[in-house]
Amino acid sequence: MLFITVLLIAACGLIYELIAGTLASYLLGDSVLQFSTIIGCYLFAMGIGSALSRYIDRGLAYRFIWIELLLGVIGGFSSALLFLAFAYTQGFQLLMYALVVVIGVLVGLEIPLLMRIIRGRYHFRDVVAHVLTFDYLGALGASLLFPILLVPYLGLVRSAMLFGMINVAVALWGTFLFANQLASVRVLRAFCVVVLCGLGVGLAQAKRITVAAEDNIYADEIIFARDTRYQHIVLTRFKDDIRLFLSSHLQFSSRDEYRYHEALIHPGLSAIPAPRHVLVLGGGDGLAVREILKYPQIESITLVDLDPEMTRLFSTHPMLTALNQKSFSSPRVRIINADAFPWVDSNADSFDFIVIDFPDPTNYSLGKLYTTAFYKAAARHLSAQGLMVVQSTSPMFARDSYWCIAETLTQAGLRTYPYHVYVPSFGEWGFVIAGYRDYQIPASVPKGLRFVNVDGLPALFQFPPDMSPLPMPPNRLNDQVLVRTYDQDWKDISH
Amino acid sequence: MRTSRRKFLQSASAALVGLSIKGGTGAIAGSFVNDSFQMGHQLRDRKNFLQPKQVVKRSAVIVGGGIAGLNAAWRLHKKGFTDFVLLEMNDQAGGNSRWGENEITAYPWAAHYVPVPGPKAIYLRELFEELGVLKNGQWEERYLCFTPQERLFLYGRWQDGIEPAIGLTAADRDQFRRLEGQIQKFRATGKFTVPMEQGLSDSTAELDQVSFADWLRSQRMDSHVLNWYMNYCCRDDYGATTSNTSAWAGIQYFASREPEEKGPLTWPEGNGWIVRRLLERLGNFVHTNHMVHKILQRGKGVTVLAGDTEYQAEFVIFAAPTFLAPYLIEGMAPLRDFEYSPWLTANLTLEHLPDSYGTDPAWDNVFMDSPALGYVDATHQSLRSHVDRTVWTFYWALAGGPPSENRQLLLNRDWKYWKDAILHDLERVHPEIRRCVSRIDIMRMGHAMARPRVGAIFSAERRSLAKAHGRILFANSDLSGFSIFEEAQYRGVTAADRLIHEVGG
Repeated sequence: MLFITVLLIAACGLIYELIAGTLASYLLGDSVLQFSTIIGCYLFAMGIGSALSRYIDRGLAYRFIWIELLLGVIGGFSSALLFLAFAYTQGFQLLMYALVVVIGVLVGLEIPLLMRIIRGRYHFRDVVAHVLTFDYLGALGASLLFPILLVPYLGLVRSAMLFGMINVAVALWGTFLFANQLASVRVLRAFCVVVLCGLGVGLAQAKRITVAAEDNIYADEIIFARDTRYQHIVLTRFKDDIRLFLSSHLQFSSRDEYRYHEALIHPGLSAIPAPRHVLVLGGGDGLAVREILKYPQIESITLVDLDPEMTRLFSTHPMLTALNQKSFSSPRVRIINADAFPWVDSNADSFDFIVIDFPDPTNYSLGKLYTTAFYKAAARHLSAQGLMVVQSTSPMFARDSYWCIAETLTQAGLRTYPYHVYVPSFGEWGFVIAGYRDYQIPASVPKGLRFVNVDGLPALFQFPPDMSPLPMPPNRLNDQVLVRTYDQDWKDISH
Repeated sequence: MRTSRRKFLQSASAALVGLSIKGGTGAIAGSFVNDSFQMGHQLRDRKNFLQPKQVVKRSAVIVGGGIAGLNAAWRLHKKGFTDFVLLEMNDQAGGNSRWGENEITAYPWAAHYVPVPGPKAIYLRELFEELGVLKNGQWEERYLCFTPQERLFLYGRWQDGIEPAIGLTAADRDQFRRLEGQIQKFRATGKFTVPMEQGLSDSTAELDQVSFADWLRSQRMDSHVLNWYMNYCCRDDYGATTSNTSAWAGIQYFASREPEEKGPLTWPEGNGWIVRRLLERLGNFVHTNHMVHKILQRGKGVTVLAGDTEYQAEFVIFAAPTFLAPYLIEGMAPLRDFEYSPWLTANLTLEHLPDSYGTDPAWDNVFMDSPALGYVDATHQSLRSHVDRTVWTFYWALAGGPPSENRQLLLNRDWKYWKDAILHDLERVHPEIRRCVSRIDIMRMGHAMARPRVGAIFSAERRSLAKAHGRILFANSDLSGFSIFEEAQYRGVTAADRLIHEVGG
């Protein structure tokens, strides 16, 4: 039974070392450097521990149990601590090596102490042989368990806590094994139980720790965060600036979103003689709908957005309904939570204006919504006077992508009218108006707009040389050049 | 820097801590489905057939409701010849293009795509024009396979496309280049075409006398990856390895098609979509659960016995697999030159998708050095942007070794054996697959595809049956020596044309 203890503590020691190495590799990269330095420090610290063991000459069992308890606490919380340190402090590496050294020293103390505790019970050569055999066996078990079961099923935070609990359990077990050598057995046991409970709670709450860590990767205070079935919604606030991130892509900043949404809606919608029915695809924040509601002659606005949590949030959250002026509460607005392409394909209604405002084409699933097939299906819904407008990424930062979208609309059989606008939080942003009929810049726009005015409109349709048209192939379902182009455009910017 | 760090921590926290969110979902359900062993053996052993109770007279009877039979029916109907009936032994028409459907999606049971037809496949283009797949010379975008089409898992990662492109040595590259050069020459001769009959020339007969593996060796092409890829292609199209495929057929695979526009044509239910459209038009002529058990030539007519009905016809189009003919047609000599590959397909219901490690899942997903052929995702052709449940069709040609032994293996092992074999294969790439899958249904096909082994293409037996005139006209794709959709369609249409010619003449 004693030797099982050796096996367990050996396993625990190795697991803490592996966790530190893995975490450092994940977070800092260069796994060879991380593992080498961590193993080196750890082994060296074990040596220190072994050297120090000679200075302990009384109360061996008592001190052994305290070492196990300390290891349980420090090792158990090491991974969570490192995670939070990476998110909140600049001292991740310092803390990591400090932890590795402390754990190493404690682990280095364990075996010499244990060997001395049990020396009297067996022959010396048996003690050495058995202890070392089980020590190495434990190491083997841990090194196999770690990649196969622990990392995939528990993750690093919880694995550390689980093994912390094992250390404490060894301590608790020790109070029984060495009961005759201990003075204050009850106090020790009480400590063990408290620490065990602490780690147990930690194990159950591990998810919160990562959420808290994530809090700090956004620059501003997070006022709302939710994983929906479709995306990760995060709202941040800094003074009067509210920002929406969907799956970590910025969607708007409340300081300048009026520029984006006025430019998205008014150049197109004001050019339609008598608009009555409008379709919005995407736009679950209700900000485009807010602009559309400025036309009293419009009878119905149909909004199709995939995520019900998104439209519910922008229908109910006071800060957000203030921003979209409760546009979703208007009796003229009908919200449909559906996937846009199948909806467009199966619905037969006709619309005078169609707003297509999807997230950027960052993957092939979203890329389907930027294809000739999709634009053809959407254009079937245009009335005789109808026009549509498409959010088309940045003609400045993703110039190829922007002109690829314009070409795709052309290949779908539509006449296209590209334009762009400056939105400070995004930079230069592009749109394309498209339809089966000619488009003329409107002679009037609704009153009270902050950005769009009649005099300024023609300039939006002018492209300076660094954003001027490029010959691009169209994006098709069976040949999604846009996703690759968009990926490349942003790589070019960031390198 | 901020962006990368943010993304980094997000993915790291998800990877490190979040992996345990969805635990095991319990046992995986499923069974064998669509078994036709029993019917096949009933025919072979000639047991338990009913005496005819009624007589039905028709000008023509089509035996077999796969692609060949359905296209024969389509052609007859289009030519205004409507006095016929099509008899199918299974409860569902479609043959190798049968499909299934659950609450998630429709999915294929076998054939799942048609390469974009070239200009020579005039009957197929005509069919596709009628079905709205080809409009004014343009292929309908939503029926072409969506991006990304194919990917290959090798050396622990995914690459785009199935032809190995990463980790190649200079020698590998040189051999791939030389092979491509050879293929281009063969293509330029115009003797490798789809349908194959149009280009078939005696000047290529010697290629049918050696195996593809031997031919590759003779060309000093010994690269492991090249040979893996050639083997993969033969297993995928013929259910055979390069050593039991004729070199002619191996070359046909590559040389018969132009480097095409981005294809192939595909649908969630695979070629079952085409069957559905044909059945919408021809359903009234099709009788399922009608197993023909005897065909007798009587003077100027043919008698076909199926169930308790005696059909008296002037002509029979025999569109069922040709190896069945000697068991059914009275007085027909046994066949020597027809060999078939056994296959297994499985449809796996996935309650959630396995981690794809930052790559986009493709339509066709292949693992290098797997004994199976990989899986096809049935929701890939969905227009939806968000899919959280899906069906994968897993393909496995039992290509190595004698078909009869593999057929025994198919029959003797239970569902659990095959289920575990399939999961083992998938686990190499998707370690968490058992936690994603709720159901695995497996279809066993003893004679799934004609195998174009050495000598099969220029077999006198095959060629004479293919051309046969008279009261019984053969139409199965195996008359081309191999079983692909285009050949089945061509054989069905041309058998119908021969029938109309005979009636008219």
